[in-house]
Amino acid sequence: MTLAAPDHRATELAAAFVELRTALGKVLVGQDDAATGLTLALLAEQHAYLEGPPGCGKSELAAALAALSGARTHTLVFHRDIRETDLLGDVLLSRHRHRGHERLRRELIPGPLLQAEIALLEDLPRSPGEALGPLLRILAERHALGQPLPLESAVATGPLEQVEAPIDPLEPGQLDRFAVQLRLTGLLAGGLFDEAAVLLERGAAREPSRAAIRSTAGSAHPPAVISTATRKAAQRAAAALQVEPRTLDAYHRLLDRLRQRTADESASGDRLMSDRSFSSAALRLVRAHAFLRGAPAAAPRDLGAIRYMVAHRLPEEVQEDFDHILEELLGDPPNVTMAKTGAQMPGAQSQGDDSDGAAAASPASDSWIDDQADLPAPPTLFGKPPPPAQVDPLLRALVGRIERGRIDPDTDPGGQPRGYRPLRDLDELIDADLIEALLFADGRLPGAPRTFERKRKSAGGAVAVLRDISASMAGRLTVWSSQVVLGILRVAARRRMRVGYVEFHHRALPHYVGGRLLHRSYSRLAEQAGQAKAVGQTNYEAPLRTALEGLRGGSGRNRHVVLLTDGLPIIGDTTVRRERQLARRLGVALHTVFLGNGDCPPVLDDISLETGGLRFYGRPLAGGGLRLEER
Amino acid sequence: MSDLTPLRDLLDHHVVGHDEVKTALLLALVTREHIYVEGPPGTAKTRLAEVAAKGSELDFFFYQLHRDTRLAELVGDIVLERRKVKTDGGAPGTAGEAERIHQRIEPGGLLTAEIAVLDDISRAPGEALNVLLRILNERRFGAEPIPLMAAIATGNPMDDEYYNEPLDPANLDRFALQLRVSGLIQSGVDEAKTLIDRFAAGSVVEQPDPEPVTDRATLDALNKRMYEVEVGAAVRAALLDVLRTLVLEFECNETNSLLTDRTFLVKAIKILRGAALLAGRDAVDLPDLAALSWMTTFRVPPEAHEALPRIIGRISRQVRAV
Repeated sequence: MTLAAPDHRATELAAAFVELRTALGKVLVGQDDAATGLTLALLAEQHAYLEGPPGCGKSELAAALAALSGARTHTLVFHRDIRETDLLGDVLLSRHRHRGHERLRRELIPGPLLQAEIALLEDLPRSPGEALGPLLRILAERHALGQPLPLESAVATGPLEQVEAPIDPLEPGQLDRFAVQLRLTGLLAGGLFDEAAVLLERGAAREPSRAAIRSTAGSAHPPAVISTATRKAAQRAAAALQVEPRTLDAYHRLLDRLRQRTADESASGDRLMSDRSFSSAALRLVRAHAFLRGAPAAAPRDLGAIRYMVAHRLPEEVQEDFDHILEELLGDPPNVTMAKTGAQMPGAQSQGDDSDGAAAASPASDSWIDDQADLPAPPTLFGKPPPPAQVDPLLRALVGRIERGRIDPDTDPGGQPRGYRPLRDLDELIDADLIEALLFADGRLPGAPRTFERKRKSAGGAVAVLRDISASMAGRLTVWSSQVVLGILRVAARRRMRVGYVEFHHRALPHYVGGRLLHRSYSRLAEQAGQAKAVGQTNYEAPLRTALEGLRGGSGRNRHVVLLTDGLPIIGDTTVRRERQLARRLGVALHTVFLGNGDCPPVLDDISLETGGLRFYGRPLAGGGLRLEER
Repeated sequence: MSDLTPLRDLLDHHVVGHDEVKTALLLALVTREHIYVEGPPGTAKTRLAEVAAKGSELDFFFYQLHRDTRLAELVGDIVLERRKVKTDGGAPGTAGEAERIHQRIEPGGLLTAEIAVLDDISRAPGEALNVLLRILNERRFGAEPIPLMAAIATGNPMDDEYYNEPLDPANLDRFALQLRVSGLIQSGVDEAKTLIDRFAAGSVVEQPDPEPVTDRATLDALNKRMYEVEVGAAVRAALLDVLRTLVLEFECNETNSLLTDRTFLVKAIKILRGAALLAGRDAVDLPDLAALSWMTTFRVPPEAHEALPRIIGRISRQVRAV
């Protein structure tokens, strides 16, 4: 099977993909890592999910991959009103007379998406569940309408989770369909000013740049660098590559290490190591990595390909450590830098550490590493912050309370389609099932066509955050409580809840926007929360009174107050008896979070227990961090 | 002198004041960037957009967004094509007919316009805007390029009282130029008097249709010239310094700002070139950096936006000193 001639052929095939990678790396400044990840995804025939802030080039990179690879491509832009027929294809309605009765059948004729070799799924998270479900199933099964799909890779793009974005993020289980997960960083936001200068210089050239051409005359994509035959041959060859036993052994140890680190309670973020991804998909990527290197078999260092899988599968701390974990495991001195950009492949520079020394002479060994690999590491922008507070447990519990107290989505003509209902008046035809509308118009439909039932999650609900800024909250407590406040703001923003923010010491210092305590200016509060200075003594009564007065005018059941403190009240009514009563009457849940050392003041328990609020405290962690846990 | 002086005169003739918005509108036409103007009702936002559109004799599409806005209303009609096909019926002994139904869009509206005015964009639900704004950004629909030069969107301030939802940050980023206007009378500027005087003198006819004073060929030529405007190393360094200051000193980051690469590293160059061209120069000079203020309005925190002229001034002095 492995004769000299096929080897030679494999080298050529690898070289073609190396060229693809190099060309892709030139599309964007400073996003080499993503270019490598996408190349591996195509070679391993895996799906990829690209996320990043707006305007960092996600779509451009995905489109360039499709163009450079010469694959038959279909682009689908996801939006609220996307329908099954957009995904699947045309409808075939047939009528058959059979032994005296007539049978009506409705079938789908595979559309362009089902015929694509590369599917570009833009803004995937914006899709309503109705369209997303079938799509994700198709991607996983690579089979639709009773036939296998020619699909090699689907590349989806999506926004970073953002404070004010009105969309719900994809769940880890949905994201798991995408073996490769890449996170792009903006050059400016990431402080990569050297790369930014390169981009500025490109744009300042005295001719319309590619971006400029695009904005006047549609897209101008680079020509294909490989043929379909080469692409498919390379994919087959990569999939057939042997995985050395020591690689498998190392892989098992790597999984052990990742499991250990992920189980560590101090880690926060996603964690989903599914069998689906970490068996077949991972090994396909490892093989592709070896193939790209021109190696005859997958060596332990090819496990580096796993790092392109971890963005939504492992906690952030573990992601950041991934390269170290792997290096440690392989027993190699760290020989590669893994800056976020200017990336090179793990192990790509190490020479002769294993049996593929012969391959070092092949075009794949080094030449596909971009010249820009030596760009300086991003500068550290700020001083070293204290170890972060782990606020996720609190946020999860709070989200649970909010969801429970929340009104079901309301019918709203501008909302997301969430099911069907019969047509009530003819204006709704635009939203009706097209085929049924057609039959209806023909007089062939008994009854009315079904139409989308649109619902929008209630924008109701409010949360007021009361934050102790008395003198004892100085130092890291200030930083931590800022993190808690920011977390709550994100939770509220996602649900379009109104927010209020009151800092307090001996007095309450509410932050009004437009004369109101409750509003939706999330970012303004977020900014405010970052500037708190600790001063004065503690008074619970004043801030509770302020918050409840602010909530009193509002309606709806979903009203919350989160009291964040580190100490006993000294000033004002220390039992806050009247405020507790008022909260009960208004149906406001008072949640308390105690960040201080020592015992939690009993009054906080009373406040929470009486009003059905949560009780949390900050448990110090080894290493100086803090984790919020239920009292 | 730029070739757009007649258009500027036309704007001045029809609308009093709002100097910045007028300049920014011309800049949008020259650079082919989209512009978003936010302000309370009755501040001539829509009127300015209309005059600019009609005065440049472009195919014009006006659309008032509302909370039920559907894609089809913006891009044309949804057409169902029905075609009879023969079928063998699938089972023995059956014969029948079938109909293949294909859904497509007959281009109209935004897809055929050269200039679009999207009124009250903040009234449309964020989810519905997504496709619209993507079309604006890519200037193509499916595989087809569209003739759109610039979209002018207007919106109301994001106060609760207007029952608007703030635009999704990613959506706002599609508008390279962003301005905030306030009413002349409310802000008590000198032009308020002019405005009232004009109406008092009866010299203003309500909503007259502006005559075209320029055309597509002129705008095409200007756009071509724009790419020949030189952007020297000093200006680029100054621009980067401004951006660095926003990131490092004003702590603009992904949570509080929309300092995207697309806007500030790619489009900013175009805007600077356009500003130089409108000022009648063939090279970008440091004063042109002032145009950056029209890019930061809703992208950075208010205090950073307000500080921008000062930052630009300081950096310009430093660059000159070198």
